Amino acid sequence: MEKIVEVKNLTKEYKTLKAINDLSFEVKKGEILGLLGPNGSGKSTTINCLLSLLNFQHGSIKIWDKEMRPDAYDIKAKIGVIFQEVAVFEELNVYDNINYFCGLYITDKNLRQIYVEEAIDFVGLQDFKKFYPKQLSGGLLRRLNIACGIAHKPELIFFDEPTVAVDPQSRNSILDGIKRLREQGATIVYTTHYMEEVEILCDRIIILDKGRILAQGTCDQLKELTKIEEKITVEVSDFPQKLIDEIQTFSNVLQVRYENNHCVIIYKKGKNNLEEFIDYLKHHHIIYHKIFSERPTLNDVFLELTGKELRD
Amino acid sequence: MKNNLKYVLKKELREVFRDKKSLMMMLIIPILIPFIILGMSALFEMQFKTDFTDYNKVGFNYALSEVESELAREMNLETFVYQEEELEEKLSNGSLQLYVVKTDNHYTLKYHINQKNSSYTLNLVENFYEQYKRILQEQELALDQQDTALLDIITVSEEQIGENNFVSTYIVGYAFLFILMAITISSTYPATDTTAGEKERGTLETLLTFPIRSQDIILGKLFSVTLSSIVTGVVSLILAIVSFLYVNQKFTIYQSVPIAISGSQILIAFLVIVIFSFFISGLCIAIASQSKTFKEAQSALTPLTFVAFFPGMIAFMIQVDNNVLYSLIPFLNFSMILNDLSVGIIDISCVLAMIVSSVFFIGIVISYIIRQYKTEKVLFSL
Repeated sequence: MEKIVEVKNLTKEYKTLKAINDLSFEVKKGEILGLLGPNGSGKSTTINCLLSLLNFQHGSIKIWDKEMRPDAYDIKAKIGVIFQEVAVFEELNVYDNINYFCGLYITDKNLRQIYVEEAIDFVGLQDFKKFYPKQLSGGLLRRLNIACGIAHKPELIFFDEPTVAVDPQSRNSILDGIKRLREQGATIVYTTHYMEEVEILCDRIIILDKGRILAQGTCDQLKELTKIEEKITVEVSDFPQKLIDEIQTFSNVLQVRYENNHCVIIYKKGKNNLEEFIDYLKHHHIIYHKIFSERPTLNDVFLELTGKELRD
Repeated sequence: MKNNLKYVLKKELREVFRDKKSLMMMLIIPILIPFIILGMSALFEMQFKTDFTDYNKVGFNYALSEVESELAREMNLETFVYQEEELEEKLSNGSLQLYVVKTDNHYTLKYHINQKNSSYTLNLVENFYEQYKRILQEQELALDQQDTALLDIITVSEEQIGENNFVSTYIVGYAFLFILMAITISSTYPATDTTAGEKERGTLETLLTFPIRSQDIILGKLFSVTLSSIVTGVVSLILAIVSFLYVNQKFTIYQSVPIAISGSQILIAFLVIVIFSFFISGLCIAIASQSKTFKEAQSALTPLTFVAFFPGMIAFMIQVDNNVLYSLIPFLNFSMILNDLSVGIIDISCVLAMIVSSVFFIGIVISYIIRQYKTEKVLFSL
């Protein structure tokens, strides 16, 4: 598949702090690449370097096989950027804001008018065209921000944590929109610290921490990195310690813990663990309220790689 | 890549001219100019109409002779006789403006230098003793049967050439200086908003990701701020001229020498306004671009108001004559040329030197801003 972005050995230092440390990755045409990591892991710095907003000490960035520089206007013309902070002009209404941003790329007025209308439809702001930003809710502002970034139909789009502090309804709408952009042929780089978002959205994921790549691959490939096969949680008011000790001795169990009336058993292998565990509970006359099984999450991957939770 | 300067400028102008605060700064400061001209004219009028009869109270440590008393009456001097200690006390509390201590044939005039109109009273009493001395000399010469014409070997008289135009040049000079200050103050807000404000709102970051040259972004911002400054300068100039016409009619101090501004003076003043607006807008943008927040930029720009105003103010107060060298010094050159205009002087060599110097410094400022915008510091100053 065609490479759109190629980053090699990228290093960005601020005096003694290495914000990005020897980063190398590729973004392929038509994919959604997720940059996942906690705050301060270097996601936004990476995006800013890719956009030439930040200088860097070592490495190279190529977009469409050309070196990315502040004056690489031919590359910039095909890029769309949606930053974490809503960046629109207060004195322009919804239509004029999108029209202004689009006008910096598209000179043909008639074509621009079509693009602006399409962007408004895409984010669902048809009823708010004449509204000024201060009249819009937080979710609608985010949608306007996205419309401004995509109206010119960019081939490569950068989303830098677009769902931070957004209500669930707007968040789902934003994620659906990003999927549709990919379906329309756009290549997308998406940064977030929400693992659920990259799991449902991204074709490939790069996990970052302290400016370094910890792992990269598809969601399934990353989950295979953990020793965990399955995690069973059972809500039970009393769970004897001797049973906990006994479960711990099973060959397919990695860990057992009981806290706040919840017993969590982490299995390293096995196919019918839930069924067997239910039988075990019945056999010992343990009354439980709820029981459920989970596959390992990216948080488990992160926990195993760094020893800390993704949101620490 | 298309040239986006026009597009960026249009957006910047829309931002400046739709923003209520920018409009207020642009138009409210010039409105102060008529008040300043009216206020200063009223103060001068009051000064010239001051009744000096209250400043004629003079004390003596001796009893006045008949001749002295008669002369004092003629000269409208109010006389008081006390001991020296009492005289000193009355001078201190303001009951007297001056007192005289006589020792044999010597008279010492004692007055307080900081007391209001003390020089007026001093002149009056000096005149009193000159006349008294003349009477005594005439009496002595008459006793010796000599001709009193001996006292007038030479005579001196004075004749004033031209009218005293101090007030009108003073008012015009201050009005012109205030126009420079108005331009400086009004350019700080849009310059801050378009740089640090945009940085704070996040739109600058987005703008820098667009396929637009840094030069277009900067020139768009510079032209919009300059235009708003020119509007302030021109409105100030128009209001100043209208005020001059009004005070000429209203105040008697301008009856003999009215304030007169010629077409060429207005033209040069307009030229100074345009060039100064460019210069100060560039400086404001350069300083504000380095600030992370709107507030930080405003604090950084505050000293500029003083820097812009004080060189000219000092030159005006100590009446420094303009020359080509001064016209090369930024800030001083604008005020010096306006000072010249206030007394009706148009020195083309000074105007040309001001233009050359300003073009040079504006060029430096613009290249400095462009360099800033090509580094990450403009967004991420650490």
